[in-house]
Amino acid sequence: MTLTRPNETSNKPANGVVLSARNVTVEYGGERPTRAVRNVSLDLRRGEVLGIAGESGCGKSTLAFALTRLLRPPATMIQGSVFFHGLDGSDPVDILGLDAVSLRHFRWDKISMVFQSAMNSLNPVTSLRRQFSDIFEAHVPEMSSDERDERSRSLLEMVGIDPKRLKGYPHELSGGMRQRVGIAMALALNPEIVVMDEPTTALDVVVQRDILDEINGLRKELGFSIIFITHDLPMLVEISDRLIVMYAGEIVERAPSEWVGQSPAHPYTLALQDSCPDLLGERKELRGIAGVPPDLRERIEGCSFRPRCPYAFGPCATVHPELIPPFAVPVEFTTVRDMSATVSVEEKSSLRQSPVITPTAGDWRVACHLHARELNPEGPPHELAGATRSGSGATTSQESGYNLASPPGSAGEGQ
Amino acid sequence: MSVLEVRQLTVDFAQRRGPKFRAVDEVSFELYAGETLALVGESGSGKSTIARAVSSLIRPSSGEILLNGKRAGTRGRRLREYRRAVQMVFQDPFASLNPAFSVGHHLRRPLQIYGHPREDLDIAVEGLLESVSLVPPTLMASKLPHELSGGQRQRVAIARALAPQPQIILADEPVSMLDVSIRLEILNLLDGLKRERDLALLYITHDLATARHFSTHIMVMYRGEIVERGLADDVILNPSHPYTQLLAGSAAGAIRSGRRQVTAPVERQAKKSNIALAELSETVSATGCRFRARCPHAMEICAERPVELSVGDPGHTAKCWLFDPKFRAKSTTTR
Repeated sequence: MTLTRPNETSNKPANGVVLSARNVTVEYGGERPTRAVRNVSLDLRRGEVLGIAGESGCGKSTLAFALTRLLRPPATMIQGSVFFHGLDGSDPVDILGLDAVSLRHFRWDKISMVFQSAMNSLNPVTSLRRQFSDIFEAHVPEMSSDERDERSRSLLEMVGIDPKRLKGYPHELSGGMRQRVGIAMALALNPEIVVMDEPTTALDVVVQRDILDEINGLRKELGFSIIFITHDLPMLVEISDRLIVMYAGEIVERAPSEWVGQSPAHPYTLALQDSCPDLLGERKELRGIAGVPPDLRERIEGCSFRPRCPYAFGPCATVHPELIPPFAVPVEFTTVRDMSATVSVEEKSSLRQSPVITPTAGDWRVACHLHARELNPEGPPHELAGATRSGSGATTSQESGYNLASPPGSAGEGQ
Repeated sequence: MSVLEVRQLTVDFAQRRGPKFRAVDEVSFELYAGETLALVGESGSGKSTIARAVSSLIRPSSGEILLNGKRAGTRGRRLREYRRAVQMVFQDPFASLNPAFSVGHHLRRPLQIYGHPREDLDIAVEGLLESVSLVPPTLMASKLPHELSGGQRQRVAIARALAPQPQIILADEPVSMLDVSIRLEILNLLDGLKRERDLALLYITHDLATARHFSTHIMVMYRGEIVERGLADDVILNPSHPYTQLLAGSAAGAIRSGRRQVTAPVERQAKKSNIALAELSETVSATGCRFRARCPHAMEICAERPVELSVGDPGHTAKCWLFDPKFRAKSTTTR
């Protein structure tokens, strides 16, 4: 198995991208290898929160581990490239090509990680002070012990924990406080990227909310980018700028989060959203997603979601869907977003980096044949974004209704 | 009439040092056939302790439990009869099934223990498996737990709870360990069984959204006390106790509806008193209202223990002084 480097010129990331991954494919070895991540490409923009959602086993954590080069055998990345574009304007760093020493310097300094279970990621037998010091000793050996303590204390204070706790041990902290410590540690070296793998899943809702607010505040203050992994789609819609929905190791939808919250384009995204009942919405019959995800050891023909998809039609069984723009983009999304774009650039210009590139209609991609004009000229049903048919429920199911415009560059109807 | 009535249930846990820890403090509630009561609250609030006390896995320090109007037995045959009627579904389907035994064994045991005729055992096991949609039943009965997915295991756990033909099922976070896509199916299954068999269901959860959609009534628990109770929609759409407001305001989806602001007071208070936010949210007042330290509306009277007061909607009460007309004037509105 060889590591193929895809053509750099065609896949060159846009400006303001801090991490770019191309065609990442990861296998868990064995007699019949499990292909957990299939041909995933993504760009993480400077200062943004990029969400990754999907059910268990869809490859979201494996992808995060691949990006940070934390994969351990039997997992191997059999294809793809990951490049880091530092703030200092130096050449992109080929993360997969780093030798052991440079990798050790790179990790935590540029990319750090917050794990799901703070319980397990903190060492129960050493004090917090010791654990913070470890980071600085390894990465900033010239720091004096007083400086290390000073920095550790200010990190704890930053995440809302009494600096006196530095002398304490992890078991003296509640779950939420431990997760805050985990975040403080991830920020210790002022990284440009923080990968968060289900950082709040094990926490109570109020604590979860506090921590999400904390993360968001710190991001505004320090300007790092976040890859946020979770199975909780409604929560992700709230906190991320753009999000990726994964199914069976592949990206099935990539879109500005705000829009996905209003109407997803992929049937799986819709099903995932329906799996989380709305706290304040109308009482209605609730359904999960029937069936199980495909066996990733098998070769998957056509669309991987087809067996569970209520909208599956002819080509889904044979043709593998590629990421394409949605059939049509509701016009209110483009206009509403244009107004907020100026606000967010202004607000973010105070960051240490260049302003964040605001998500636009062009960012929306969906891997579903319902949106392919040549396969489905009628467009998707009304409950999915991009529908042009004004179905019976189109205006009642969504408060705003659908005003439709064609995506740029396509022959269109509506607007 | 209620199937199960819990009166003034109190559970204390001994601590190595100091006084006993009161995990559940004089909690009363009733369960009705064909209805679901949701018990929500954060971890450590005492939800599971209530389930354990009601299923007689632990002995309460005081209070009584009435099954069909009669005091629950505490030993011997009457305890067995009580336990038959009150069955439990646990949170972790990976830990609650024995990895060494087949699915069939897990279902046969409770049937045998409660005297099901030996010759019908296999038929009864198949019937149970079918009722939780584990088909084909003969094949499923022969499987070992590790051959099943989390959702399938939880179905086995539910079938096992149904085996002794209980009147009451206590479901302690039955879906929190399961994947999002299958949670609703398991909850729908429990809901369907509740209707079919006229069961009384106690649904313990920290997820307000499913609590609202799957239950008739909701009780909100904070540090061992029920702070608010009422019809599910009333409690969620019109949260009255400041803690419930905080909970509802923290849930995803609350932002769009403008609920979000209710978390702000806690942060403001943290800034004012210069305590680290995380430390503040851990603070519990020992006397009076336990939420006092975190409450944006705290008044002098809150040093005294609040009683249940009506908040307006029928049957909707909150343990908060704000709903006492004497004190309501001071804080014009809580909503």
